[in-house]
Amino acid sequence: MIEHELETIDLNINIGPQHPATHGVFRMVLTVDGEKVVEVVPHIGYMHRGAEKLSEHMDYRQAIGYQDRTEYLAQFNAEMCYVQAVEKLSGLVPPERAEYIRVILAELNRISSHFMFLGAFGTDLGVFGTAFTYAFRERENVLDLFEEVSGDRLMYAYMRPGGVAWDVPRNFKERVRWVCQQALIGANDLDRLLTDNEIFIMRTRGIGVLSIEDAIDFGATGPVLRASGLKHDLRRAEPYSIYDRFDFEIPVGRHGDSYDRYLVRLAEVRESVRIVLQAVEQMPDEGPWLPDRVPPRLRPAAGEVYMRCENPRGEYGIYLVSKGATQPYRLRIRSSSFCNLSALREMTIGHYIADAVTILGSIDIVLCEVDR
Amino acid sequence: MSEETPSAEKPAEEAPPANPLAEAFAKALPKVALETTQGAIDLLISVKPGDLHNVLSTAKRNSDLSFDFLRNLCGVDYEDEGFEVVYHLYSYAHGYNVTIKCRLGRDNPKVDTASDIWRGADWHEREARDMFGIVFEGHPNLVPLLLPDDMLDHFPLRKDNPLAPLEEWQGELLGGEIPNAGYIPPGSGFNAGGGEAKEESA
Repeated sequence: MIEHELETIDLNINIGPQHPATHGVFRMVLTVDGEKVVEVVPHIGYMHRGAEKLSEHMDYRQAIGYQDRTEYLAQFNAEMCYVQAVEKLSGLVPPERAEYIRVILAELNRISSHFMFLGAFGTDLGVFGTAFTYAFRERENVLDLFEEVSGDRLMYAYMRPGGVAWDVPRNFKERVRWVCQQALIGANDLDRLLTDNEIFIMRTRGIGVLSIEDAIDFGATGPVLRASGLKHDLRRAEPYSIYDRFDFEIPVGRHGDSYDRYLVRLAEVRESVRIVLQAVEQMPDEGPWLPDRVPPRLRPAAGEVYMRCENPRGEYGIYLVSKGATQPYRLRIRSSSFCNLSALREMTIGHYIADAVTILGSIDIVLCEVDR
Repeated sequence: MSEETPSAEKPAEEAPPANPLAEAFAKALPKVALETTQGAIDLLISVKPGDLHNVLSTAKRNSDLSFDFLRNLCGVDYEDEGFEVVYHLYSYAHGYNVTIKCRLGRDNPKVDTASDIWRGADWHEREARDMFGIVFEGHPNLVPLLLPDDMLDHFPLRKDNPLAPLEEWQGELLGGEIPNAGYIPPGSGFNAGGGEAKEESA
């Protein structure tokens, strides 16, 4: 009889960079023990295009387009953060009507971004088609409205320091109300499809738990932080623009797992609809959308500002250093996905390989925003 | 509107000109030279590189400050005046915001890591090393994050690495015979040296 001593070796599994489960070009190397993950090494940077560097070489208004390309699922939110940072330094004050247009578009963008998540998350779990098509039906309505407003389906470049580029179409309010109605129907459909779905619950409950202390320590924000149980939303904690005028709830989870992250986002769709409907009600029918005098070339005062906004994926920050020139001296984009993704290792270790895909999906990353 | 810091509204009955947050910092760190100014939104505090780790860890651990959330960490290149590392902090307990800045020398910029204070600083510091070549001493794994693994001597966001010559350099790399590599159309808003573009007469 020959005796063999069984040897245990580390087995590395490479996922990505071209893999449907990674939502873009992202690579992670999992070290596995059987089916269990014992170590995760994420590799990012495949989409690094130097948006910060490019913005330093452009006029303040030209750099708006790079915000769309950085955060390509919540473009209006990213633009809004950037133009507010420029406004803080240049002293431009947007007119009332422009503030309402911005808030309506930003909240609708949150809805479309969360629909994207709800559909893609279903796909990650293997229910391809069902959730995805329902979510995309509603997302399409929102994108149609954005196209009517800005002329583009994805790269809007519609906001300007001091307001927005041009007025909204005449039937804007009716269209927004209709889109909100449809979004609620879509949210209810997805709710019925996924929330009580046995398979869905088994794949997500207790998977990828992030404790509240870890979430804060890693700088996780947005739905990831709120799913862990901290009721913190920049729209409430440090209200920017006109968010102090609206009545809305901040949904929070209790367990910090993938299921709670899903529930928080689904609830946020409904809260965003509430904000949009209030904003449409209060929005003045007539009025300017830019201040009377906007200089042809902006020269914000020398100084620095860190402007932050609550984006669908968390805190999006623009750190802008100006030296009084026509171009930003330094533009730093604080990406919410980047910080949320840095907690991936903490969430994934100890789970199965198949769950790694679920966890990555539940963080809802945008790789262009991670890499900038 | 949102201009005022949340810290400004808390102890409003105290002496109005002094910022309560600046006082809390001075109280928690009596021996450290802190230079405080009020920025557009947040309070800015400049510290020396030697004091930085002490200031940051006190900012997190002191119960009057308890800055438990590192919002953002980045480098800035101020050309002849050296580099700056900027930490944006937030306290969930008190709702305070503060920006801590530290100026480093032009050659061999080095500073102590903050990744032992906030684990979220890990990736931010790796990115700052990638982009500016700032070395964070004591960092457990200071390898390139966004850039390729072998790109250790090229720091894209430094000001002495301007955009257009980089394209030129890439053009040479691709064969040298690309006719318009590095050509900057007049009035495009681009200029090779960074800084000021030529003003149109508009």
